[in-house]
Amino acid sequence: MDSYLTPYLPVLILLVIAGVMCTAISLLAGKLGPRRITSVKEGAFECGNPSTGDGHARHSVRFYLVALLFIVFDVESVFVYPWGAMLHDFQAQHLGWFAFGEMMSFMATLALGLVYVWRKGALNWSADVNS
Amino acid sequence: MNFNPNDLVGILPAVILTLGGCALMTTEVFLRKDGPDRRYQPFLAAVFGLIALYVSLSQLGDPSATLFAGAAVADGIGRSISAVVSGTLVLSVLLAAGYLETLSASRGEFYALALFSAAGMCLLSQATDLIVVFIALEVMSLAVYSLTAWLRKGTKPAEAAFKYFVLGSFASAIFLYGAALAFGAAGSTRIADLALAVRNANAGSSMLVYAAGALLTVGFAFKVAAFPFHMWVPDVYDGAPAPVTGFMAAGVKAAAFATLARILIGGFGDVGASMGPHGWQSLIVLLAGATMLVGNVLAVPQRSVKRMLAYSSIAHAGYLLVSIAAMAGSEPRQDAVFGLVFYLASYAATVIGAFGIVALIERKLAPTGASDDLTTWGGLAQKHPLLAAAMSLFMLSLAGVPPTAGFMGKLGIFRAAIEAGLVPLAIFGVLTSAAGLYYYLRVVVYIYMVPSTKPEPVVGGRMLTAGVALAACAVLVIWMGVQPGAFATLTQSSLAGFGK
Repeated sequence: MDSYLTPYLPVLILLVIAGVMCTAISLLAGKLGPRRITSVKEGAFECGNPSTGDGHARHSVRFYLVALLFIVFDVESVFVYPWGAMLHDFQAQHLGWFAFGEMMSFMATLALGLVYVWRKGALNWSADVNS
Repeated sequence: MNFNPNDLVGILPAVILTLGGCALMTTEVFLRKDGPDRRYQPFLAAVFGLIALYVSLSQLGDPSATLFAGAAVADGIGRSISAVVSGTLVLSVLLAAGYLETLSASRGEFYALALFSAAGMCLLSQATDLIVVFIALEVMSLAVYSLTAWLRKGTKPAEAAFKYFVLGSFASAIFLYGAALAFGAAGSTRIADLALAVRNANAGSSMLVYAAGALLTVGFAFKVAAFPFHMWVPDVYDGAPAPVTGFMAAGVKAAAFATLARILIGGFGDVGASMGPHGWQSLIVLLAGATMLVGNVLAVPQRSVKRMLAYSSIAHAGYLLVSIAAMAGSEPRQDAVFGLVFYLASYAATVIGAFGIVALIERKLAPTGASDDLTTWGGLAQKHPLLAAAMSLFMLSLAGVPPTAGFMGKLGIFRAAIEAGLVPLAIFGVLTSAAGLYYYLRVVVYIYMVPSTKPEPVVGGRMLTAGVALAACAVLVIWMGVQPGAFATLTQSSLAGFGK
């Protein structure tokens, strides 16, 4: 067991140091730091605007749909950027058309998904949810 | 890594099913809402399923090939499971057609989800890399979770789907943890590399191998509904639409068992089976014994046939685990693999037929909110003699009475267990399946001997497509029971390239 996990010892040491340092710094800051509490400091910070309303406001269920669609197309861009940067290297290894085909089939699948959500009305923000 | 176009031919069934799913999903959104023009959907889905079935059967004899640089494989067991899954899909969508139409819940997404799920099952049975296993597992499971909640009205489907989703995700996480530990032991997620690591395991890495084997087994024990990970089964099988339950019971089991066998035999192998005092064989023997006992005992008090079939599916997972345990020895592995594949095929034909008849009763009951009870089945023989005969046939096959498919399946599995030296387990299996006779035959008694309490017919709605699918199931059940040799190509080739 020892020999097996030895390469990971630095990671463990780093974890311990990081844990000790973070705890120590926050404890020390809490103990030693001056406390001058004003009502402005206590208030919630909302980009400089005075905060209004309850913090526990209910969000429209549509945000869930937006978040879902966002993830789909966000993941797409996560794949497309490295692919674009690497395409020349792929070509040098004679994998250019393969990489191109892979990305095109991936985009085509996503495009089908876009057609689906578009026609379903998921992108139509103002429409009634039930229509 | 080099791309070889032949790799796509190797996973052709999954590709066909995926294309079918995309076609159904995109055409659905161009149809008018609630129009009558959705009739084509089950048949289109069935056509894609039939093509996938044809492709996997025609590839059966081909030599096995490594695909995608070792991430997947096209071998006998993958192809035979793809064939079973495609056949399951075809029968299930035909049974679902009339069911959904009667309950006005017919939508293209249902068939698209079924096709995507079947594609995941085919890929799962071909995966030889733990990452690919995980992706295929999720493709299969997520689609099945949504299919479970298809009839959104009422609390039962919501409860079933939520329970299935939460517990299923939990099981996936356990599987993933096992895969991570396997990676720690092998330095790779390929099952073949895991086998190397197990063979060379020393005192340091054997703990990792143990934990990885246990966690991977637990992940699949959940998917195949083995004790003690069976708690979700009755509620989920009961809450899901009956055609979906049949699809789930047959398809998910087939794919998950093939992968469990691949991981245990291909990854942990004979070295892992007898490693230390507790190799994976003793783990599987324990699971199999407990699963057979619990499934059969808990099925006895059930009044609802659908729930009884859910518990019976747990018991059948136990019989299938016996064949996995019998694979551990090197000599009789052939019989155990044949037994597994044949049993999966025979169980698929039987259970889809049984749930198909439950679906006919359920679609009559569903609008009233009542659930199926043994008394509902009274008088079926007078009003629908053919349905009554088919249901009795499926019950006899589930109980393992000759000359049905279930008998030949059990025979193969218990013979393999005896050849592998697991005589006590085989005897225990036979005893528990004898207990199963009681609750299967009780359904037959109600169908034939108890008169109906209500004047109206037991089943309702259009019956043609469901009738064709049920007839196909019945023919398969008898055919596999009388002439199991006809399915030899399906099972014989399943050994090729598997379990080296």
